[in-house]
Amino acid sequence: MKRCLVVISILSLLLSGCWSRRELNELGITFALGLDEGKNGNVRVTAQMVDPGMIAEKTGGGGSDSPVTNFSEEGKTVFEAVRKITKDSPRKVYPAHLRILIISESLAKKGIGHILDILSRDWEVRSDFLIVIAKKQRAEQILKIATPIEKIPANSMYQSLTITSKVWAQSSAVVLDKLIQEIVSKGKQPVLSGINIVGNIKEGKNITNIQNITPNTYLKFDNVAVFHIDKLIGWLNDDESKTYNLLMNNVFDTVVNIKCPSGGKAVIEIIRSKTKIKGKVVGDKPNAKVVMNMEGNVGEVECNIDLTKPHSIAQLEKVFKQQETAVISKSIKDVQRKFQSDIYGFGEAVHRSNPKYWSKVENDWDKQYFVNLPVDIKINIKLRRVGTIGNSFMQPLRK
Amino acid sequence: MLDKENIELSQFKTLVIIFTIGSSVLVAPSILAADAKQDAWLSAILGVSISSLFILLYSSLAMQFPEKTLAGVNEIIFGKWMGKVVSLSYFSYFFVISALLLREIGDFLTTHIMVATPIHAILILFMTVVIFGTRLGIETVSRAGQIFLPLIFLLLGTIVLLITPQMYMENVLPVLEKGIKPVLKATFHFLGLPFLEFVVFLMLTPKINNLKKVRKPFLVGMFIGGFSIVTITFVAIAVLGASSIERHIYPSYAIARKISLGNFIQRIEGMVAGIWFISIYFKLTVFFYSSTLMLTEILQLREYRFLTLPLGMITILLSIVGSRDITYFNWMISVAWTPYSLTFGLFLPLLTLCIAIVKKKIAGNP
Repeated sequence: MKRCLVVISILSLLLSGCWSRRELNELGITFALGLDEGKNGNVRVTAQMVDPGMIAEKTGGGGSDSPVTNFSEEGKTVFEAVRKITKDSPRKVYPAHLRILIISESLAKKGIGHILDILSRDWEVRSDFLIVIAKKQRAEQILKIATPIEKIPANSMYQSLTITSKVWAQSSAVVLDKLIQEIVSKGKQPVLSGINIVGNIKEGKNITNIQNITPNTYLKFDNVAVFHIDKLIGWLNDDESKTYNLLMNNVFDTVVNIKCPSGGKAVIEIIRSKTKIKGKVVGDKPNAKVVMNMEGNVGEVECNIDLTKPHSIAQLEKVFKQQETAVISKSIKDVQRKFQSDIYGFGEAVHRSNPKYWSKVENDWDKQYFVNLPVDIKINIKLRRVGTIGNSFMQPLRK
Repeated sequence: MLDKENIELSQFKTLVIIFTIGSSVLVAPSILAADAKQDAWLSAILGVSISSLFILLYSSLAMQFPEKTLAGVNEIIFGKWMGKVVSLSYFSYFFVISALLLREIGDFLTTHIMVATPIHAILILFMTVVIFGTRLGIETVSRAGQIFLPLIFLLLGTIVLLITPQMYMENVLPVLEKGIKPVLKATFHFLGLPFLEFVVFLMLTPKINNLKKVRKPFLVGMFIGGFSIVTITFVAIAVLGASSIERHIYPSYAIARKISLGNFIQRIEGMVAGIWFISIYFKLTVFFYSSTLMLTEILQLREYRFLTLPLGMITILLSIVGSRDITYFNWMISVAWTPYSLTFGLFLPLLTLCIAIVKKKIAGNP
């Protein structure tokens, strides 16, 4: 009798089901979130949910439906809007697999700090998704564009941005932790990549768009947005974006066009690049030193140069150094002048080297010190290889 | 009076290691970073070094009275009734810690893993296992510790190893930015959690074989456990930066979430949470066992086992009413805990030791 009671009481513990359980078919797996300004100061949240059935490997039929569905709602706060989405969607937003967060430019100009709180507080959200800015566009529109090759637009954007920031250097993959760290830091201001729609938006929304070999409408990662604290204040151009990524060590592999000594063009492929930023205080003035150690190959030759001679390589290195130093120092000067926002982290470098001095200047750093900061740039380049052929086959013809 | 249990020195060492890692590995980085910022790891090292003095204190006290538990010692030193009062205050300290540890694991689970589950369900289940362990006796528990210790280190090693690609040494610099003061302040808060809590082992010392040699395993265990915390703190700062660590309630879980190796080994934080279940389990069992034993000796009962069930229920209730919300809980352990622990972990044992030595001197030269 007693044993029976014990068994029953244990069973009642085990068989009463589980709290917190959620089956896979109850989750609205959200791959992308878009944040826009709504009416009356509201925030408009767009969630892109994946239909797991549609992305499964060919199970016959149904291939023409969209693999994702967007739901948008407005609310006074982000959380409210996200919850309101359940009014439209059969499933609750499940953000653990979030790949990308798109914030519209107009919202970013007013500040993004308050909307990031929920993303760092909520227990389901991880911090490994990328954050981008919809340039001159609503985030909602960006999420409506069907993408080729990768069926899920969010995945397409995620991969595209990860790849392009590594091998082309004009955009920057930023995750939540890093963004928050940079917003908080006084010596390093954040940047985010911009994304844009190329082509007709109306056509892009249709799934038939990607049935063309050249899609009429597609998404494109564009330059980098500069922030001051949490407000967007402007955009970097191509050179400035590239400089930024080189300085931040975001680049693994990029290509640089240079002028040959005898005229014409050649391309250097940077295969390794490591930048050190050092800050120093001399007297009462801070200065920064940027040392870039690069290793590269000659990737393309469109000029008259004899690559069988060792001094040709030295010449190319010299040209590269001069040209890149000019580009980089111009970019840095432009950023100092235009934005007055220390996106390179020179302030942090000064902070690390001289914390006492930093505590005096940290509050006026961007406006007073960063703008006039002398930056010394030193580039070390080693060109190691010239590819699989020596001289260009055009070489004898050019003579 | 109580049934004879024996703990080998090596088992004692394992118990100390797990005990040190205990709950501290979960919350210590954020408590340390609150004051010391990026120097939190320095404070941790300092804390571990200072704590070796506590170990010396506890082990000398234990060796003065090799046959007696803390409760017995109190009755010898302070007299029968006064001793019982002192023991009762120790009991309250151990018992409150049991409740807080239980609450800690409940809060952790309901914050990160099972958000919709009522905390009671978790507390009851966890406490049931603790009561089982306590009833089986500390010998069984410390033997179990020997089985689980390699697992704890495997998991800890896994996090540290897999997160190294995301470490940035810039986050640790500059060292001693605001001078030594904040570092010392953080060290102070670190002492109460867990090092002053080692006083609880004075309840177990009579069960240790070869007590004369207890000092070495005690110290070694504390250093191994302490440096695990130092490592986790350092790694957490290097990965997330001090300002972020400060904000996170469970920083070591936050870094475990960031692990992503080749987009393949990722989302393993659930596995890593196992460290905390295991280590908090042992810490809680040691405290619960000791408080039960303490009460048994105060009341001069013949058996401690029948106390486990009622005390277990009270622990669950105490852990629920003990702190209103997580903000209060964190405020309490970061602000009030060390001063509270100092009473029981430093002043009372020190007083006891002094009286014991003086008494011996007087007895020696009549």
